[in-house]
Amino acid sequence: MGKYVVRRLISMVITLWFVITITFFLMHSIPGGPFSREKALPEKVLEALNEKYHLNDPLWKQYVDYLQGVVVLDFGPSFSRPGIFVWDKIQEGFPISAKVGGIASLLVILFGVPAGIISALYQNKAPDYLVTILATLGVAVPSFVVATLYIYVFAEKLGWAPAYGLEEIKSYVGPCLALAGFSLSFVARLSRSSLLEVMQQDYIRTARAKGLSEFRVIFKHALKNSLIPVITYMGPTIASILTGSFVIEKIFAIPGMGKLFVESVGNRDYTMIMGTTIFYAAFAIFMIFIVDIAYGIIDPRIKLGD
Amino acid sequence: MSNKWDKLSKQEAQKESIRPSLTYWQDAWRRLKKNVLSMLGLGAIFLLILFAAFGNIFTDWAYSDQDLDMSNLPPKLEVFDVGDGITLYVHKEYTLYRVEDGGKIIEKMELPQANRDLMKKQNHYEIDGKAITVDYSFAAKAKKSNDPNAIKFQLLVDDQVYTVPTDKISNGVYKFGTDGLGRDLFARLVYGARISLLIAFIATMVQFFIGVLYGGISGYIGGKADNVMMRIVDVVSTVPLLLYVIMLMVVIGPGLKTICIALGSVYWVRMARIVRGQVLSIKEQEFVLAARTIGASTWRIMIRHLIPNALGPIIVSLAMMIPNAIFTEAFLSFIGLGVNAPMASWGTLANDAVPGLRSYAYQLLYPSAFISLTVLAFNFLGDGLRDALDPRLRK
Repeated sequence: MGKYVVRRLISMVITLWFVITITFFLMHSIPGGPFSREKALPEKVLEALNEKYHLNDPLWKQYVDYLQGVVVLDFGPSFSRPGIFVWDKIQEGFPISAKVGGIASLLVILFGVPAGIISALYQNKAPDYLVTILATLGVAVPSFVVATLYIYVFAEKLGWAPAYGLEEIKSYVGPCLALAGFSLSFVARLSRSSLLEVMQQDYIRTARAKGLSEFRVIFKHALKNSLIPVITYMGPTIASILTGSFVIEKIFAIPGMGKLFVESVGNRDYTMIMGTTIFYAAFAIFMIFIVDIAYGIIDPRIKLGD
Repeated sequence: MSNKWDKLSKQEAQKESIRPSLTYWQDAWRRLKKNVLSMLGLGAIFLLILFAAFGNIFTDWAYSDQDLDMSNLPPKLEVFDVGDGITLYVHKEYTLYRVEDGGKIIEKMELPQANRDLMKKQNHYEIDGKAITVDYSFAAKAKKSNDPNAIKFQLLVDDQVYTVPTDKISNGVYKFGTDGLGRDLFARLVYGARISLLIAFIATMVQFFIGVLYGGISGYIGGKADNVMMRIVDVVSTVPLLLYVIMLMVVIGPGLKTICIALGSVYWVRMARIVRGQVLSIKEQEFVLAARTIGASTWRIMIRHLIPNALGPIIVSLAMMIPNAIFTEAFLSFIGLGVNAPMASWGTLANDAVPGLRSYAYQLLYPSAFISLTVLAFNFLGDGLRDALDPRLRK
């Protein structure tokens, strides 16, 4: 186990280095510098700016400097807003996104998995059809449609919840629902089909044959094994939910990571784009690592370290 | 048939004959036809393609025709019949339109600057000798009261007061209404369908080619090369793919071509994995060995023997990737990285509708309904194709 963790940690670092390198060189391959605007800056100002942000250094030196910075969590200053540092903005935005995303992830787990289980246990009966129809719709409707419809109905027409911001507890409902909708539906479908498959395995027949109650068969033997594909899916999904959806945060005007990223894309704020991308990637890689560890705990058949 | 050793008559021989054997594709089609939902999906996709190709027959407008006088007109007009054959529509911006011939003619009434009373919040008109006033002084109060049904304006015709519309007629000029620049929404939806479907198909084709070649080579060559190539795929796929797409869009700039390139060059990793898995098992079979013994080149074995035999799972994943591409395109448009104006995709149409959502919800409704419907149709078809083409995956 320990050996496996160490090996995984090393491969995580390599993956992250790969991501940083791709991001860095992609961003530096953009024609024109970060300060080329429609109205050209005076030669001297441009020169001074390039000097200040070390843009006159050779590319490899900039790359090495950036790598060194990332190691100590220094992603450099923002290009479009002077005096603001990328890491400070990430530290500001991430807790807000994580709060909304945490609730949404809980929704996915607390409603998605049970819905799938109920659906599988009542296969081809009314509850199954209800869950299947809802889940099919949930996968097909884009999250921005859910979000805007929510604002239209509950904020504008009924005046029940505020349309923007996060001041009240009520205002969490919309973003969390919109954020969770797709994954919730997907998890419901996934856990349904997975449980149905597990229920046909030999060891379930064995469990039934030795006279266990149906409750024990399902909750002790079937459920644990049927959750493996769900966990595989949940790892990266929780990572992307926690770091905020670009679209949802834009619609509900939530000052989180997603909005930060979209804004920096809009402003062509290169250092900010690089910083947020690397942060996203690091978080996703970490979550996949957690999932791999979780496999070993849930399913002893999966041998870690092979 | 008393004696089993007698020769059968021709008729009986035909009756006994085995039914013609079905090819893999005939068999798959037979299975797919039995799946009602997939056939519905297939029908819906067919209709959508027809809509994209020929939809503009039903509208007189081009997607880029704009008429600012006709901005934000809804598909259903709530009109006031004020007598003498005059039917009036009061716009959400409190300007007056005359509607004639059951909605077939809509004309914006002239409003000279002198007739705008900004202090009293009234607009004065004169039509056929009638003095008509749109009094919107209630609007501010209605907004404050938070009651969506509060009266926002009243229409004064000579001395009569109208507050509730007398009739609801459909817009005969712009069937689905107009957007904020007075462009026909129907024409834009047809155009959006073209762009959205085009992006979906091209992006899927790009990832098909890259993925099949990459996965095929990796699986067929095997050994060290396979190991290295698959490690690269592992690394690429650990990172949320949308991030790469957005970064690529930032680097090469938004536009139709770049969306296809960005989507295609990122999402191929899944295809590569599927193809590699297939090739690994197919390449061990005898017919590949036979091809190799008669001296077929690696390239020929790949193109003629390996890939055609892996086509089932490939097609299934293609059908699943198309809705994914439509989704991603809509997301990109929504954060301002979509196709350039005046071009439109369903994503940009939905994005354009958001600022005016409060008053003109219909503008969001149509594009999002189309996106949802298309994704639904492809999902149904994909599920059916998986059951039909890949019997091992059947549940």
